[in-house]
Amino acid sequence: MNLLTVSGLFTRALCWPVFFGLALACVAALANFGLLFLSGWLLAGAACAGAAGLAAQQAFNMILPATGVRFFATLRIATRYLERLVTHDASLRLTGRLRVWVYTKLAPQAPAGLTDKRGGDLLSRFVSDTDRVGQSYTETFIPFARAILCGLAFALISGFFLKSAGLILALGLLVCTLPVPMSVGLLSAPCLRALTTQRGTFQAELADTLAGLGEYLTLGASEARIETLDSHQKTLQATERHLAALESGARSLMTFIGLLTTLYVVMLAVRAFHLGALSAPKIPMLALGCLAAFDVTQPLPAACQAFTRARIAAERLQTSCNAAPCVPAPTAPAPALHHPLDLIVRDISLRYPNTQHRVLEHASFTIRQGERVALVGASGIGKSSLISLLSRFYPYQGGEITLGGQDLRHFSTEDLAKTISVAAQDFHLFNGTIRDTLQLANPNADDTQMAEVLRTVQLEDFVQHAPHGLDTLIGDEGLALSGGQARRLVLAQALLRNTPWLILDEPTEGLDQKTEYALMHGLISARPDATILCITHRRTLIPFMDRTLTLAGGQICPAEEVP
Amino acid sequence: MHSKQPKNDWQTAGMARRAKGWLAGSVTLGGMAAVLFVLHLTLLAGVIDDLTFKGKPFAAEQHTILLLLACLGGSLFLQWLADMAGTEAGLRIAAHVRRDALRHLFRAGPVGCTTLPAGRILTTLTEGVDALEPYFAQYIPRAAMMVVLPLLILAMVLHLDGWSFVILACTGPLIPVFMALVGYSAQSIMDRQWMQLVVLGSSFLDSLRGLSTLRLLGQTEASISRMAAATDAHRASTLSVMKIAFLTSAVLEFFSSLSIALVAVVFGARLLSGTVDFRSAFLVLLLAPEYFMPLRAFSASYHARQNATAAAARLADLFTLPEMTQPENQPRLTHTRNHPIAHLMCSDLTAGYPGQAPAFQALSCTLSRGSLTVITGESGAGKTTFLRLVLGFLQPSSGQITAYDTTGAPLEVWQSRTAWVPQRPVMTMGSIADTLRLAKPNATDAELHAAAQQADALEFIEALPQGFATSVGERGACLSGGQIKRLALARALLRNPDILCLDEPTSDLDPASALRVAHAIRRCSANRIVLVATHHADMVALADQCLHISDGHGEPFSAPQRACA
Repeated sequence: MNLLTVSGLFTRALCWPVFFGLALACVAALANFGLLFLSGWLLAGAACAGAAGLAAQQAFNMILPATGVRFFATLRIATRYLERLVTHDASLRLTGRLRVWVYTKLAPQAPAGLTDKRGGDLLSRFVSDTDRVGQSYTETFIPFARAILCGLAFALISGFFLKSAGLILALGLLVCTLPVPMSVGLLSAPCLRALTTQRGTFQAELADTLAGLGEYLTLGASEARIETLDSHQKTLQATERHLAALESGARSLMTFIGLLTTLYVVMLAVRAFHLGALSAPKIPMLALGCLAAFDVTQPLPAACQAFTRARIAAERLQTSCNAAPCVPAPTAPAPALHHPLDLIVRDISLRYPNTQHRVLEHASFTIRQGERVALVGASGIGKSSLISLLSRFYPYQGGEITLGGQDLRHFSTEDLAKTISVAAQDFHLFNGTIRDTLQLANPNADDTQMAEVLRTVQLEDFVQHAPHGLDTLIGDEGLALSGGQARRLVLAQALLRNTPWLILDEPTEGLDQKTEYALMHGLISARPDATILCITHRRTLIPFMDRTLTLAGGQICPAEEVP
Repeated sequence: MHSKQPKNDWQTAGMARRAKGWLAGSVTLGGMAAVLFVLHLTLLAGVIDDLTFKGKPFAAEQHTILLLLACLGGSLFLQWLADMAGTEAGLRIAAHVRRDALRHLFRAGPVGCTTLPAGRILTTLTEGVDALEPYFAQYIPRAAMMVVLPLLILAMVLHLDGWSFVILACTGPLIPVFMALVGYSAQSIMDRQWMQLVVLGSSFLDSLRGLSTLRLLGQTEASISRMAAATDAHRASTLSVMKIAFLTSAVLEFFSSLSIALVAVVFGARLLSGTVDFRSAFLVLLLAPEYFMPLRAFSASYHARQNATAAAARLADLFTLPEMTQPENQPRLTHTRNHPIAHLMCSDLTAGYPGQAPAFQALSCTLSRGSLTVITGESGAGKTTFLRLVLGFLQPSSGQITAYDTTGAPLEVWQSRTAWVPQRPVMTMGSIADTLRLAKPNATDAELHAAAQQADALEFIEALPQGFATSVGERGACLSGGQIKRLALARALLRNPDILCLDEPTSDLDPASALRVAHAIRRCSANRIVLVATHHADMVALADQCLHISDGHGEPFSAPQRACA
């Protein structure tokens, strides 16, 4: 069962908002039915009494039904409002739970399992998929549960006055609740699945186009490319058109069935009236009730489509969440590191999953504790891959890496983080203030410590002149900062963690020489005893380092030994 | 964002014009459906009145019932057509907008597009444009229907009963007024909490994006509980906005329920005294909910408008990307090539990107036909920037590039004669021939052969099981890195460019394939200007001229020197 993930979330904590929402939805639908049902009777009753003469007029009690009408009207107003509030609350709770669950499952897979080979935005898809599954409560569960429960109630109420009318209404409602929406669901399912693949293809093609924009331009192929994308779009839209036609058609069909049922009920009521089994005012009452009853079936075709959408989303989530992380989590707790914290890399090879190219081939090198080492090499050759390797994001094939005398395979990324701080190039800055950003790295850091590291990374001036100091917002993904500032803030995070090891990836990219010098100088005097591995292509950093390693042809060797 | 509001409104209006016919069709059909619907209710009221009070047998009403069913059937069919016309309008507009946006991105060029994150451009073009669909498919037709159907019903009720007319005519216009009032206060609460809502709402995506970072910071466990707290806080603040926002629909509900109750009670009293007939009373009761129905449908599609407005703002960001200053009306292929380009003179070139120090300053050099020039320098020194200038993707902030043909005359239009092989060439799904014909759709087989031969690609293509008809796989998955490079070179040569630019053609290649590619490039320089940005020593050794860029300055060496490697 694919929605197991969702039903697993109907825990006790969620039980009452979920069923309270349903109860309110049912009461609202019943109030609507009651309002029209009673109004019909009121009008017809008054008309009958009015026609029957003065005695009947005086005998007719207007107060009670009039109060009833007002009661149902008020009830409908109040419950419809509360229903929306409670169901949205429950749906948000569900989405929240689901997100936390998905997040917990995805965390060990980052980053290897979270990159989409086809260029689509996998992460945004997690957002929309969890949304969709969470919303299936308001979009599918509530409409169906309400249609079934209220449909039964409507039939019983009508049946109380005229048994056959109740039966016919039940039959009409049953047809509109099960076969019609279900066949819409069945007919839509292949379309919706096709739509998912078509969307994926379109998105991948679009991503490819954006990546190759320049080449298409120089090839003079831009118009042809737009045409190709347009044809993909046409296929996609044909499917969407088909789905819309189905849904809208089904709704029309149900309205028609509603009228047929009403007419049939009227016929039965008239027959009963002629037989004297039913009073005249009950004919319009039953007719109006019947028309009102079909209101609950209107959202069902859309609910069926929403169900399929949610199912596809749940399947995708499940596949992603159940995927095995490419670096399996260590089974035993991390062993203690022995001093000195030397890094010894012996004969290792690195190949990314699903690729043939070996980034590292039988590479070996050693970094002793307290050393400052630069790693240089041409761009794209795999310098940053070494970070992925040393932080256990990707597995290495063959060879051995030890840190502090222990095999690196016994550690998870989180274990290693206690010893090694990394300032990577593709670091993510979270939406929040500068203080939030720094405290993320070290929750116990106080203002003095923060000021200190900001001075070291040459951001002190910037923060002092920023409108709110440490409480200045850095924007979504740090977009309110310049590239150089963002990079230095990341460096500040790494420094604040105060670990014996520091790995820096191009720490001074985008800085002028003066700032670069001040930064490196400050860094080394602030952390004289730290072991630093600095990945760079800038010669200006090399004087700050003890020695240089070069990465070329999958090998890492001291600079002077490069062939 | 807020300052752009009027422009966006204007934009969506502009979009609506593109599917005017379909939108008008949708509204007209919807109007016709509404007339038939009201007619069917009238007939229904008549049937019930006849059966209940006139004592007619069911059989006597057969014709009316058939007519009634026909009316409803017709109404539903017309409504279905109206819905489909609306959907069509939405789809057409989305298709148009997407095509225009793509065209604009091509005009902005690869450098212009980097001012926006690639992911954002992608989501704007997919989800953003998708959000426009419901706006045009539902919101606009429903907004129109909100005027048509209530007026029709009001006219009908006026004809039937004065009191009911007063009730409906008074409550109807009050609804938008109150909805606007409540909506206004909901908006102000929303504005107050906007930042919080955005931050909390995006926390899931933000955490996913930063998962690697969180793991490196050792904060995985903490981030889980933080996210749980954030989703809960998001729910709470969303709900506090919804409490007010849902009042708009509660207002609608209030008036519609109230007027049904009022109509029932007011009619009840007069029916009792016999001053009105049942038929009109029953009809008004049937009409009253329909009077409010379009309003309800409209308010349900209100979020479609919000989404569309947000999407329009994001699209505006995309459409405001500056276009490349290159004269755009020049066709890139159909250039009369009487005289090929002989020299390319770069004088005092300074170039860079907005908000950054110039990549290089006062760079001067001459590139000549028949020579292979390599550009060397550290990564980030400005090699790619120089190529971009030559390709016309970027304009120099000062200085200029002038092209002279073989007769020595300066050329006005020359960038159409350039070709480019980037680091990661585009590989579309299809056969090798399809990939090559991207450059020249009408190229003959002989031309393909010649270009492949020149690029040293013919040998491997012919060794493949289906030769030129072999599929390249997804993103060239069936080919090796060196084969892709040579294929891209062949493709560039198919246009017989006077200037050929290559960006790191030998990166990621093993030494043997790198050498093969380098020699193929060398051969291509016989009758054109070839410009290669590279680190590779073999490539440099084959060059006639080396342009070394460092510290913002470029120095051309006439002979290849090991020093510039």
